Amino acid sequence: MALIYGLQAGGLYALAALPLAVALGIVGILNLSHGTLLMLGGYFAFWASTLWGVDPLVSVVPLLVVFFVIGMLLYRTTIRRALKATLFSQLLLTFGLYIVFQELANLLWRSNARQLDLSYSSASATIGSITFGTSGFIYLAAAIALVVGLVLFLRRAKTGQAAVAVGQNPRGAQLCGIDIDRIYLLIFSLTVAIIGAIGALYVIRYSIFPQVGMPFNLKGLCLIAVAGEGNLVGIVWFALFLGIAESLIRSFPGYGGWASIVFFALLIAGILVRTHRERRR
Amino acid sequence: MKSSLLETKSLTVRFGGLTALKEVTLECREGEILGIIGPNGAGKTTLINVVSGIYFPNGGQIVFDGKDITKLPAHMRCRAGIGRTFQTIQLVKELSASENIMVGCLFGRGLGLREARRKTQELCELLQLPRPERYLAQLTMLEIKKVELARALAMTPKLLFLDEVMAGLSINETRAMIDLVREIGSRGVTICAIEHVMMVIKDLTERVVVLDGGQIIATGPYEHVCNDPGVIDAYLGKEE
Amino acid sequence: MKHLKSALLIAILAAAICFPLYTGTYLHHTAANILIYTTLALSWDMLLRSGQISFGMSGFCGIGSYAAVMVCLNLGISPLLSIVLAGLVAGLVATLLGFAVLHLRGMYFAVVTLAVAEIFRVIVANLSVTGGTMGKLLPGAIFGGNSYGIYWLMLGILLLTIGLSELFERSRIRFALTSIRNNEIVARSTGIDIFKYLVFTFALASAIQGMVGAASAQINGFVMPESSFSLNFALLPLAMALFGGVLSTPGPVIGGVLLGIIDQVLREQIPYGHLLVYGIVLVVVVLFMPNGIVRAARVQIQRIRIQRIRPTS
Repeated sequence: MALIYGLQAGGLYALAALPLAVALGIVGILNLSHGTLLMLGGYFAFWASTLWGVDPLVSVVPLLVVFFVIGMLLYRTTIRRALKATLFSQLLLTFGLYIVFQELANLLWRSNARQLDLSYSSASATIGSITFGTSGFIYLAAAIALVVGLVLFLRRAKTGQAAVAVGQNPRGAQLCGIDIDRIYLLIFSLTVAIIGAIGALYVIRYSIFPQVGMPFNLKGLCLIAVAGEGNLVGIVWFALFLGIAESLIRSFPGYGGWASIVFFALLIAGILVRTHRERRR
Repeated sequence: MKSSLLETKSLTVRFGGLTALKEVTLECREGEILGIIGPNGAGKTTLINVVSGIYFPNGGQIVFDGKDITKLPAHMRCRAGIGRTFQTIQLVKELSASENIMVGCLFGRGLGLREARRKTQELCELLQLPRPERYLAQLTMLEIKKVELARALAMTPKLLFLDEVMAGLSINETRAMIDLVREIGSRGVTICAIEHVMMVIKDLTERVVVLDGGQIIATGPYEHVCNDPGVIDAYLGKEE
Repeated sequence: MKHLKSALLIAILAAAICFPLYTGTYLHHTAANILIYTTLALSWDMLLRSGQISFGMSGFCGIGSYAAVMVCLNLGISPLLSIVLAGLVAGLVATLLGFAVLHLRGMYFAVVTLAVAEIFRVIVANLSVTGGTMGKLLPGAIFGGNSYGIYWLMLGILLLTIGLSELFERSRIRFALTSIRNNEIVARSTGIDIFKYLVFTFALASAIQGMVGAASAQINGFVMPESSFSLNFALLPLAMALFGGVLSTPGPVIGGVLLGIIDQVLREQIPYGHLLVYGIVLVVVVLFMPNGIVRAARVQIQRIRIQRIRPTS
């Protein structure tokens, strides 16, 4: 039981973490506004559904487009300048964006949680004596689709390969004639598009409120730090692992509150182990 | 016969699959100026790095001034009397030239702030370094080298490693630097200089060690080593 | 020129001390709140000088606040003393933590500090001895809620922190931290014991944060996991320090006070989402004044001075 919910939640964590990892690995920017972009996408999908009856699954496509454009705007106006600045500046910039987005949502939609009630969000199945919700499998399926898509893109597609080259060695890539600015624009906008669309998936099962973005930032960061920003498949594995671990702990009565420690504890353990191996002592 | 200040015994350093130093056994005698030469990638800088404590060896022993320092951390070796300069420019960007030198006084030597300032001024005069309140970006190459040298000297080292200190200098600047190094040597500092510029080696050193592929292939005075067939092969490549 | 600067500083100090005498209770509390975040901003900057970015301030604030409250409730220690003790506790925890974690650098270290802070919060929220999610209530606020006392308490802590920061800047610590920050290999080769300095700086900064957390708890009269370990403590001071200009004493202080004032003004105008403009300000500053406003202002003043000496036609 916990296993199943863990897989589903893990799928969602992976979904959130993957675009962040791509942005960090290739464009080299740690996008702290990442979680809030998911939140905004979620709100768009929510209102689309509530006002016009558009199902969130259907909203995914227009959201991809809308957020791609948003990503392009963000890149052109703000991110590009920050890339030449220090790490602090980049952190501060994306953090500022995070505040802007979150407060914008606060301003427009207040902070109460809203929930969609879709016909299939409470669909369930029964195996043996266990009944469980099945709509969450969307996350797992989407995560698998996303990681497969990303890996194929980065390994096979010409643009993808160029992107990897830029991520590893921007100067070198530039010398080979790759237009790194275009790559940055493309990849950044792509990650924004993906995370916005994921917002639509999010509202299928969960309630949305402005603060919903930050935990995804944190958990996404955890996953990237443990798996490594280039290790997309690893991120998915760790996400599932952590989702299951979290779910397991929650299933023990009385220990529910400790569940969120799982992520952080495993994160710290993972980082310490990794850096211990790398240290030349 | 001068006593041995530094001895490495079968020193081996591996980086993953690459063996940078293989069973290197050498000796540096007190008061001498020892030259270390060899083609690129021979392991010369690795040797300095391992003796000064940036890396720890995979095998072998380092004995300095009679004590085994193989396990000693870098900042302690520096206080024990090992100083070094760097091949690439390694001054602290956000400190001025004199402040860089003060770092050496304060931590390498453990002086108080006031004494450190005084000593820094002395060193600037010794090395003829005008306006030491300037920062890295405002210094010429020769001045940068002088600051690095001053910083190393500020730690009153017994043994000073110079890693290609002549690189990037003009002929006149090289001559000035050679005189400077000789002056330092005459004040009792043992010097170990890695160099590519043979004129410098010939002028400055009494003894030379030749490294190739992580191993010592020759030792002795410069003229002797110059004519060693193994050394010629290493530099020019074997005749097929 | 130097005398003018000293005179100005003394004037500002006098004004700060006399501030409560001319303003009402509400402003006392508001100012105290600004001082809290400003102190945190400065303490964050002090660690930054060693090259380490920390996202864990909320953790030490929380530890400090809980330590103070527990010590007050269970051992009957006076509120002021509890604040000092809280600082020591936070510093001790930081030292122990530091041994495990200060081998990490950059993003790894930052992320781990955040994770540790969150772990502290969850632990505290789940133990009954710390009151679980309901937290603990103090019998009364410090000084009986007297806002004059509260303001001067926070001002005192800020002044103490400024003193420590200046000590860092004027002693060998500055040389050590700057070397470590720029180039660790060189630092090691010049005799600097990197680990010792990192642990020391981390512990000191965390102790300050613990004291701030404790003072905040004493002022509010309670501790709760959500508020005592609030991420606001971890994140807003960063913005203040960056806004004012990092790696200096005046930068975080000026940035903290200015942003704090801007925030308070906005809070009254736009109750819901006032932080929005705060965020916009941040974005604008990063794009146009990346070194912080203090340095940008200094550059402008220099330009004006040069203009006066050599007016261009």
